[in-house]
Amino acid sequence: MRERDDWHLTDDIQHEAGPGDPFAAAVRATRMPMVITNPSLPDNPIVFCNEAFQQLTGYSREEIVGRNCRFLQGPDTDPTAVCQIRQAIEGGQDIAIELLNYRKDGSTFWNALYLSPVRNDRGDIDFFFASQLDVTDRVNENSAMARQKAEVEREVERRTADLQAALEAKTMLLHEVDHRVKNNLTMIGSLLRLQARTIKEPDTAAKLQAMLERVDALATVHRRLYQSNDITHFDLGAFAENLLSDVLGASGRDDLALETDIEAVEIPSSAAAPMGLVLNELLTNAIKHAYSNGRQGKLTVKVKRKSDDVIVRVQDDGPGLPDGQAPSGGLGTAVVERLAKQLHATVTWADARPGTLATVVARIDAL
Amino acid sequence: MKRPQAPLDVLIVEDEALLVMDIEDMISDAGHNVVSDGASLYDVEALPDDLDPDLAFVDLQLARGTSGLDVCRLIRTRWPKTFVVFVTANPKKIPEDFCGAHGVIPKPFSRNGLLSAMRYIEEGVCDPPPTSPAPASFVASPAFAASWA
Repeated sequence: MRERDDWHLTDDIQHEAGPGDPFAAAVRATRMPMVITNPSLPDNPIVFCNEAFQQLTGYSREEIVGRNCRFLQGPDTDPTAVCQIRQAIEGGQDIAIELLNYRKDGSTFWNALYLSPVRNDRGDIDFFFASQLDVTDRVNENSAMARQKAEVEREVERRTADLQAALEAKTMLLHEVDHRVKNNLTMIGSLLRLQARTIKEPDTAAKLQAMLERVDALATVHRRLYQSNDITHFDLGAFAENLLSDVLGASGRDDLALETDIEAVEIPSSAAAPMGLVLNELLTNAIKHAYSNGRQGKLTVKVKRKSDDVIVRVQDDGPGLPDGQAPSGGLGTAVVERLAKQLHATVTWADARPGTLATVVARIDAL
Repeated sequence: MKRPQAPLDVLIVEDEALLVMDIEDMISDAGHNVVSDGASLYDVEALPDDLDPDLAFVDLQLARGTSGLDVCRLIRTRWPKTFVVFVTANPKKIPEDFCGAHGVIPKPFSRNGLLSAMRYIEEGVCDPPPTSPAPASFVASPAFAASWA
């Protein structure tokens, strides 16, 4: 016999009513609270309740028998649940439902009610049988868990808001600092230009002009950095185009022929300023030395990426370097060599016959 | 429409005195006249009606907590024919319609950047469309650029 059919066994057992009835004895003695109601009596009163039901509710048998089950309801009992039970009784249906009930002393318990009609041979309902299970602990545990979950969610929300506020403060600070850097660079440029106007001595004026160009190159680096959407990278190629037109414009040498082979090469933004200064020195140096006294010629500028390296070439067709040595003496050359070292880059000068070719090679991931 | 002719009369609205000095010098070098300057919206309000400059360079963040955007609106009302160019370290704060202004020169600028912007603006104002290549130091407002198409 299959396990789930066990309960049909009772249908087959013939028994007598009375004290010897084993089923009545079982219902009386079980720890499961149970009641039986009689719907043929007015208001469907309880006609039997067991010991467990009295213990659960705190009422004595005399107080229970003869009353409708609704005496267990109270102010916080869900009316929807009560309505569902009433509909089940009216329709002669089973129902399993949890509802809040009240004990005699006014305390409450969550009642997992199971109610079903008991039909006679003709199929009419003689009784309703109801069992009650106190599930207060489980319901409370569930609501405690829900409360804890809500609390955790509130806490997460609060922390997120804190972080968001911190991020906003940081972003605002960054913008403020960025704004000040720009304003100060503008101011430094203005001061140098104002000073340069007062200097008549050509050598000093040229030195001041070189300083001004370096500050301008830094300003261009900064302007390109803050105008790009990605502040962690810097497009050396786009910067080179920008700087080249600035340097040529500043030199007033629109008569020089220009050959460029420049592609976008992203380098880390931490390398932007030193790389920008190196490029500035190479360009201004070429223009100053190769095309002095209005000498015409062609300037070739390349910025390329070759596998892991960025390669910068600046070539003029001026007098060149007869001994193949780096141009010596000037601050410009020293700046290029020191900054190249800082960038782990190699810089070489070659006599290009005609002219000078300066090449800077740097591993992008070492920048 | 009668277009202004060079030399242009230029108004500078900028709260850093040294920058005013520097910009003044460069505008003079470019062959134009600086007719007045101011550091705040109040200074511009106090200018005489007949100043009527051809071009105004306006910083965004001005003295006494005033804004270049308000200065631009005031100029556009008082002198509707004046061309307005923002000179600012904060170009992202300019609204999409530029408040009716004609372009922006981002700070920090170089001498060459300002001069080539000035030349380009002069062409765009006096004899559009400009024939020089657009310099990186100047961004025309969408409406101003569209007027050349």
